[in-house]
Amino acid sequence: MNVINIALKELKVNLRDFRTFVFMLAFPIVLMLILGTALTNAFTSGATVGDMSLLYRNTASSPQLTQAWNEFSSVLEQQGVKLVAASASEDGKADVQDNQYSGYAEITDNGIRFYGSQRDSIESNIIQGMLSAFADRYNLAAAAMKENPTQAQTILAGASAQQSYVNESSLTAESQPGSMGYYAIAMTTMIAFYSVISGSNLIRGEKTRNTALRLSAAPVSKGSIFAGKVIGVTIVNFLCVVAVVLFSKFAYNADWGTHYPTLLLILFTEVLLAVSVGVGASYLFKGESSRSFVMIFTQIASFLGGAYFPVDPKGVMNVLSNISPMRWANEALTKIIYQGNLQAAWPALGLNIGVAAVFLIVAALFMRRQEAI
Amino acid sequence: MNALEIRGLTKKFGDFVAVDNMNLNVREGEIFGFLGANGAGKSTTINMISSLLRTTKGEIDLLGKNIAKNIKFAKMNIGIVPQDLAIYENMNAYENVSFFAGLYGLRGALLKERTEEALDFVGLGDKQKSFPKNFSGGMKRRLNIACAIAHRPKLIIMDEPTVGIDPQSRNYILQSVKKLNQMGSTIIYTSHYMEEVEEICTRIAIVDHGKIIAEGTKEQLKTIITDTKEIWVGVKAEGELPLDSLKQIQGVTSVRFEEGVIKIHSKTEVNNLNRIIQQLIRDQAEIRSVEEQAPNLETVFLTLTGRNLRD
Repeated sequence: MNVINIALKELKVNLRDFRTFVFMLAFPIVLMLILGTALTNAFTSGATVGDMSLLYRNTASSPQLTQAWNEFSSVLEQQGVKLVAASASEDGKADVQDNQYSGYAEITDNGIRFYGSQRDSIESNIIQGMLSAFADRYNLAAAAMKENPTQAQTILAGASAQQSYVNESSLTAESQPGSMGYYAIAMTTMIAFYSVISGSNLIRGEKTRNTALRLSAAPVSKGSIFAGKVIGVTIVNFLCVVAVVLFSKFAYNADWGTHYPTLLLILFTEVLLAVSVGVGASYLFKGESSRSFVMIFTQIASFLGGAYFPVDPKGVMNVLSNISPMRWANEALTKIIYQGNLQAAWPALGLNIGVAAVFLIVAALFMRRQEAI
Repeated sequence: MNALEIRGLTKKFGDFVAVDNMNLNVREGEIFGFLGANGAGKSTTINMISSLLRTTKGEIDLLGKNIAKNIKFAKMNIGIVPQDLAIYENMNAYENVSFFAGLYGLRGALLKERTEEALDFVGLGDKQKSFPKNFSGGMKRRLNIACAIAHRPKLIIMDEPTVGIDPQSRNYILQSVKKLNQMGSTIIYTSHYMEEVEEICTRIAIVDHGKIIAEGTKEQLKTIITDTKEIWVGVKAEGELPLDSLKQIQGVTSVRFEEGVIKIHSKTEVNNLNRIIQQLIRDQAEIRSVEEQAPNLETVFLTLTGRNLRD
């Protein structure tokens, strides 16, 4: 019962601490907005196709080829490719080099020769693909002509009717968060980890207020005081984290997927981990050195965890980032939200609970050795 | 019956002996003054009585029971009013008292009744929903007391409960202490204000260097001092006063100046009043009054410890 009393007291005292509460809410929300907006382009993986233009010179003498080319030309124009016939004196290759056209094609009785622009590589590749398809179909028709002229007409006519020389097949990679989605996760796990500050103040706050003396003088075990305070401050910080999640979802339209119980469980254990690290640090390091350790550790963990910028997935930084609890949580949340991979929760949950247990045991042992709390 | 019995109590911090083989009895129903200068060992003793510190040696009995063996009983029957305010600024007066009373096992209607009773007792009954940040220093001190008495302890330890408050609030607290005592609680009272101790305490112990050096009623303590007299010389306080020259006079043991009066302690057997007055005239001090005081607790304390209570 005393554990509940003390936990409820923690809730009241902390929820009424307006400045801390505003910091815990406003800080991630503002950073989410700033970084999510400013770094939108850094998260865009798509490519834009610009205007496509083809300069061509048709010197073929075959009426079938000319007829086929003309039909193909009209289809190309319908597909958005601007076709320009080269004048007799015009140097097509030089024009492409000058970036006036996406490509230059010479149609002769021996075939089609294509010169593509290296600057507009996407556009020139598309045109090249269309020309290849046309050439294949014409060659097929030419071969059929020798055996069965009627069939050849059908092949060419079918090609015109289909009006498709490039078949698109989409191979979608695993979906990834955009900038707002990324920072919604990163800021939420960062503020969850900031609970380390509350944890480090857990006992020190009582000493500063002199209420540690009253608590110690009451007929309540140190274990009850410790448990009540850890539970209370963990719930308070978790409520802040939930508020940040809800705000980012409804105000910024951040994608949090559909597996809310699992996501919240990961965030809850991260808060528990942070509180435990804070409490442990307050016993391992005395006075100001405890405060300094907490501030430095929080910032390093935030940086390595990708709170401010995504960590390079290769190299030393990637290895170092694995020591940050935020990294564990970020990875798990990203996989669950964007790939629906619920199995990704287990490593994060295991590490969070395991590390939290170690620090809580250390703090409890130190507390037990001390005469008062 | 003794409310508190201390036998051979010792507390060491490394090589430093904070409390040295202390023996003390506090009878049930007393307001017991526990006096000592800073560092004398008062707080360490109080912390051991409250089970906040472990003893190095010795025994403490509360109401006939050894506190080390009956720690819950001891804690349930002790209320502590710490020297520094020990309240939560973010909880209102009712929540503060209710929270601490709840730690003593009070629940439901009884908890509510005792909380309201404690707040009424300290005159904060109409401020139940107010937050301490809106309280005056005196009101905070009263709330500090309410938090210690809601569970109706048999022994209340008050560690300088009137520090830094206005005379009106101080008077209110002193009356409250007397009332608590009349209601059946034994009080251990420490203060740096000797006049408070003289006013309310039935017996007094003086502690110095971790030992009780005197114990008894205030009348008994005053009889200890037979070789010291106190001379008060009222002067117009202008310019530098010749305190150092007074200290050179034979028999004078200490000199201090407070609120227009030079207070001189001197050995009783030396008749030096004429020389003191002559020295003051030589130093051009404007004398307004001269009187020899009967020994008071301040004199007793100073004589026994060589220090003022406020040192």
